[in-house]
Amino acid sequence: MISFTTAAPAVGAAFVASLVEVVEAFTIVLAAGMLRGWRGAVAGTAAGLAALALIVVALGPLLDQVPLHSLQLVIGVLLLLFGMGWLRKAVLRAAGIIALHDENAASAAQTANLSYTTTRGLDWVGGVMAFKAVLLEGLEVVFIVIAVGAGRGLLVPASFGALAACVVVLAIGAMVRRPLARVPENTLKFAVGVILCAFGVFWTGEGLGIAWPGADLMILVFGAAFLLVGVGAVVVVRQT
Amino acid sequence: MNILREVAGGLLRIFVGDAWQTVGILTVVSLTGLLMASGSVRPLFGGALLFMGCIVVLVASVALYGRQHRDR
Repeated sequence: MISFTTAAPAVGAAFVASLVEVVEAFTIVLAAGMLRGWRGAVAGTAAGLAALALIVVALGPLLDQVPLHSLQLVIGVLLLLFGMGWLRKAVLRAAGIIALHDENAASAAQTANLSYTTTRGLDWVGGVMAFKAVLLEGLEVVFIVIAVGAGRGLLVPASFGALAACVVVLAIGAMVRRPLARVPENTLKFAVGVILCAFGVFWTGEGLGIAWPGADLMILVFGAAFLLVGVGAVVVVRQT
Repeated sequence: MNILREVAGGLLRIFVGDAWQTVGILTVVSLTGLLMASGSVRPLFGGALLFMGCIVVLVASVALYGRQHRDR
């Protein structure tokens, strides 16, 4: 039986990280549906989800075959690459070096792309766009779930965290029927970047054979340090 | 085929957003692994090296990008 305190960080990390990805996919699917018709957008979304399910079903069992230390090392390094990429971008956005991601602008760009596409195969164009969005953002969600859940038998709780994010975004999306521009995306990305970096250092170290003092508690220490460094970097870059 | 290529490109961009940062992270991890495997450093020191290395890479990457784009 998995205790709440063990599962909560994985569920929370999967939920918050997935929230960002699902909002991005939702924006594109919404643009495709509103401009090209819902039949193509829904078909593309369904195809994307089916492709994702196939990938998970095909590759999921392989995870059990990989030795634990190798799995921890590979996932740790991928988490570092992924998480530090997010954190770097979030810091640069918060410091005003690069523009904040705007779901309204993203939606407008997608709409413009769709509008300028030739009308041959009307639903097909929107469907392909929805398919790509769902597949790519979905793969990121799958990776996050594996990263925070694998290695400690928390894949199922982490999956529930990601699923909850999908339900929340779809429920709010169905009500407002426009891009979810009020989601504080950069703040979420900042927080997720910090969490992924902390997990990344922890898993990479475990994979290399480091027995961290305090075991899982070190993730909190790493998280606090990355948060401090990230916030400090924003302040310094803004002032220079 | 085009879709597959775009999806593969998108996947690559997830992990390799900034080339220098990617090289930096891989260097820190490889260096830590090599030093630990050779027995030159104790595991705990290796952990400190890994953690501090990642922090340095992050700060350097942000500072470099910030400076380049402010100069323009």
